Amino acid sequence: MTATLTPPPATTTPPPPRRAPKDKQPFRHRLSRFDVKASPYIYIAPFFILFGLVGLFPLGYTFVVSLNKWNLLTGPAGFIGLDNYVAELNDPFFWNSLFNTVSIFLLSAIPQLVGAVLIAAVLDQNIRAKTFWRMSVLIPYVVTPVAVTLIFSSAFDEKYGLINNLLASFHLDPVMWKTETFPSHVAIATMVNWRWTGYNALILLAAMQAVPRDIYESAALDGAGAVRRFFSMTLPSIRPTMIFVIITATVGGLQIFTEPKLFNPTTATPGGPQRQYQTTVLYLWDLAFNRQNFGKASAVAWLLFLIIVLFGVLNFLVSRRIASTEARVSKRRMTKLLNDHNQQKTDRAAQGSLAVIAAAEEKRS
Amino acid sequence: MKFSRRTKGLAAVASAAAFALLATGCSGGGSSTAAGSSTDPITLTVTTFNTMGYDDLYKQYEAAHPNITIKATNIDTGDNAKTDWQTKQAAGAGLPDVQAVEEGWLSAVMQVSDQFNDLSQYGANDIKDRWVDWKLKQATDSNGRIIGYGSDIGPEGLCYNSAAFAAAGLPTDRDAVATLFGGDNATWDDYFAVGQKYHAATGKAFYDQSGFLWNAMVNQQKEGYYKTDGSLNVDGNADLKALWGKLSTATTSGLSANQTAWDWGKGKAFTDGTFSTFVCPGWMLGVVKGQVTSAGGSAATGWDFANVFPGGAANWGGSFLTVPTQSKHPQEAADLAAFLTSADSEAAAFGVAGTFPSVTAAQTSPAVTGTNDLSTFFNNAPVGQILADRSKGVVAQYKGPDDSVIQSQVFGPSIQEIDSGKADGPTAWNNAITLLNQLVVNK
Repeated sequence: MTATLTPPPATTTPPPPRRAPKDKQPFRHRLSRFDVKASPYIYIAPFFILFGLVGLFPLGYTFVVSLNKWNLLTGPAGFIGLDNYVAELNDPFFWNSLFNTVSIFLLSAIPQLVGAVLIAAVLDQNIRAKTFWRMSVLIPYVVTPVAVTLIFSSAFDEKYGLINNLLASFHLDPVMWKTETFPSHVAIATMVNWRWTGYNALILLAAMQAVPRDIYESAALDGAGAVRRFFSMTLPSIRPTMIFVIITATVGGLQIFTEPKLFNPTTATPGGPQRQYQTTVLYLWDLAFNRQNFGKASAVAWLLFLIIVLFGVLNFLVSRRIASTEARVSKRRMTKLLNDHNQQKTDRAAQGSLAVIAAAEEKRS
Repeated sequence: MKFSRRTKGLAAVASAAAFALLATGCSGGGSSTAAGSSTDPITLTVTTFNTMGYDDLYKQYEAAHPNITIKATNIDTGDNAKTDWQTKQAAGAGLPDVQAVEEGWLSAVMQVSDQFNDLSQYGANDIKDRWVDWKLKQATDSNGRIIGYGSDIGPEGLCYNSAAFAAAGLPTDRDAVATLFGGDNATWDDYFAVGQKYHAATGKAFYDQSGFLWNAMVNQQKEGYYKTDGSLNVDGNADLKALWGKLSTATTSGLSANQTAWDWGKGKAFTDGTFSTFVCPGWMLGVVKGQVTSAGGSAATGWDFANVFPGGAANWGGSFLTVPTQSKHPQEAADLAAFLTSADSEAAAFGVAGTFPSVTAAQTSPAVTGTNDLSTFFNNAPVGQILADRSKGVVAQYKGPDDSVIQSQVFGPSIQEIDSGKADGPTAWNNAITLLNQLVVNK
C-alpha cells in the first residue's frame, strides 16, 4: 500500500493529542507492529496455558488440599494449617521412604553414569556397524517399564527366581531380594540401570562426537594414549552434558514409582512387607489411595517437590561453578594445544613430504 | 455326597436342559420388567471387574429391551476397579449407571453410602428375599438403605491335595477328609493337629502362607476388627489374640510354606508338593485351577475340594451391583442390576465364570450343582453343592472404614514376620498393635 509510504500530513496543524498519531496509523501498520510485539507470546502461549492447566493448577490445588484434613472419599473436613506437614515430618514412614528413595537413587545413578560413559566411549570409537550398536543400547529404553519390572521381578523371585536358582546351583545361600532392605534396593536399582544406561550413553555419545577431532589428533601426536585422552580430554569436554544427565537422573530417581510398585505387586503393604523399598512416591500413593488420607498425601507431594527443587538448585550451583571453571580451563588448554599444534605444523612443513604422509594417515584413521 | 456322582452323559443332558430353561426363563422375566420402563432409547453404562460372566446376559437384556443399549466396561482386577471407582467418586463425575463393588472395598463404599441410590425405592423390597440373608445385610448401610444387589459370594471350603495326603498316610476320600478335620464342628485346633501329623510324616509345610488363614479367622468372628458400634476391636481382643497365638504357633513350627500369595512361583508351588491344603472360597477354585495349569499340572496333580472348613462357616469376597446417584437413569439401572442378579442370570454366570450365586434359588439350580470344568478338575467334586453347604451360617460382619488397611498394612507385615521366622507370635502381635496405633488410631 502506498499510504504507508506517504509522509505525515501538513505540519501547520497543532500537535495532535497523544492518541491521534496512533489512530492515524493505517490498520495494516498497527497490525504489523502488533504482530512483531505480540506474536512471540502467542506462539509460546499454548505451552504456558497447558502448563498452567496441568502443572501449575494441580500444584496450587495440591497445596490447598495439603492444608486441610481431607479424606479421599468424604472430602475436606476442616482447615488445619501446616499440621499435615508437621505430622509427616514426624512420621517414621516418611523418613523411611525418603531413605529408600535416596538409597535406590544412589545405587542406580552412580553405576548408571559410569556405565553410560564407558559405553559411550566405546561407541565413539571407530567400530563396525556403528548404527547397529548405537540402536542396540537404546532397546531397553524402548521397552515399557511395566514389562521390564515383570521380567526382573520374576528373575529376582526369592523361591523360584532365576538368580536364586543360579546361586543355589553354586551352593550359595539365596538372597532375600523382596523382603530385605539392601538386596531389594539393589534389585530395583538394577531395573532402573538396565532401562536408563543405554539412553544416557547415547546422550553422552552425542556430546563426545561434538568434541573437535583435531584436538585428539594433536594429543595423539603428542603421545597421549587412549586412556589419557579419555580422562584429560573427553571427560572434561562432555562435562556440561554430564550435568544435564545427572539432573535428569536425579529428578527421575527421586520420583521412582513403577519399579517398586510392581516389583512385588502382591505384597499386602506397597513397597515390601515391612516397607523395605517403599519410595516416597509409592508412600504418597499408598497414603492417598489405600489409607485415603488425601491431605497428608498432598503434604508429602509438596515436601517431595521442595526436595526436588532443593536438589535442582544444588545441581545448578555446582554445575555453574564447574562450567565456569571448565570454560576457563579448557579455553586455556585449547589455546595452548592449538599453539603447539600450529608450531608443530610449521615444523613439519619444513620437514617436507614426510609430514604430508603422516597427516594423510591421520585423516584416514 | 455320593448321590451327586452322576455319569458324564447324564450331567451333559442335565446341564443342556438347564441352559434351555434358563434362556426361556430370562426372556420371560425380561419382558415383564420392561412394562414399567419408558421406551425412550437410553444407554446404560456398567463397570465390572475380573470375569463376572455377564456378556451373554447383556445381549439377552438388550434383546428384551430394544430401547436400552448396554455399554459395559470390564476392569482386569478388583483392586484396579477400586482405584477406578475411588478416583471417579472423589472427582464427583464419571461413574457408570451400574457399578460392581467387591466385598473387600465395600467398607470404603459404605463411607459414602449416600452417594448410592437406595434400591428399595426402585423395587428392592419386592426381590430382597432372593439372596442369602447375610448378603443382603452386607449391602444395607447403617441407615437401612439397600445400596447393592448381591451377585456372587465366596463361601470357603478346604482344598487339599489327595496325592500328598496319601503320601502322609492320611485319608484321601473327600468325605473322610471332611471327617478328619472334624466335619460340621471342625475347629482350627483340629486343622492344626492334622497339620502337625502331616508335617511329622512328610517334613513338608501344610499351608502356603498364613495370610489367608488369618483372613478367614477374622471373618468368622461375630465382630472382626471393628465392633458393631464402629469402635476398634483389635487391641485387647482376647478372641483374636488367642487365634493369632494358634496360627503363629503352627506357622513357626513349620506348617507354613512362606509362599508369596498370588504368585506361588507362577503356580509351581501347587504342583511340587510344597503344601497340601489351601483355603478355597468358590472363586478361588478357578484360581487354583489356573495356577496348577500354568505350572504344567492337571487334574492328575491331585487337588480335591472337601466340604469342611475349620472354625465354622466363612465367606471371603463376592460382589454387589450398585447404582451410584450420579446415574441419570436410576430406575433402568436398578432394573438391569435386578436382572443380572436374578436366579437364572446368576446360575448362567456361574456356568461361564464360576462365580458362586448369592441367590438361594440359583444355588440349587442344576447349572450350579451339576458337573462343569471345575468339578472335573477337582476330582469330580460336587463343587456347587459343597459351596451351597459352606454358605450356610456365614455372619455378615460389620466392616469399619479402615478394615482393609488393618488387614493388609497392620497384620500383613506381622504375618510375613511369622511366616519367614523373623519374629515369634507374641512379638509379631505387638508389632501389629504398634502399627495399628500408628496407621489407624493416630492417623
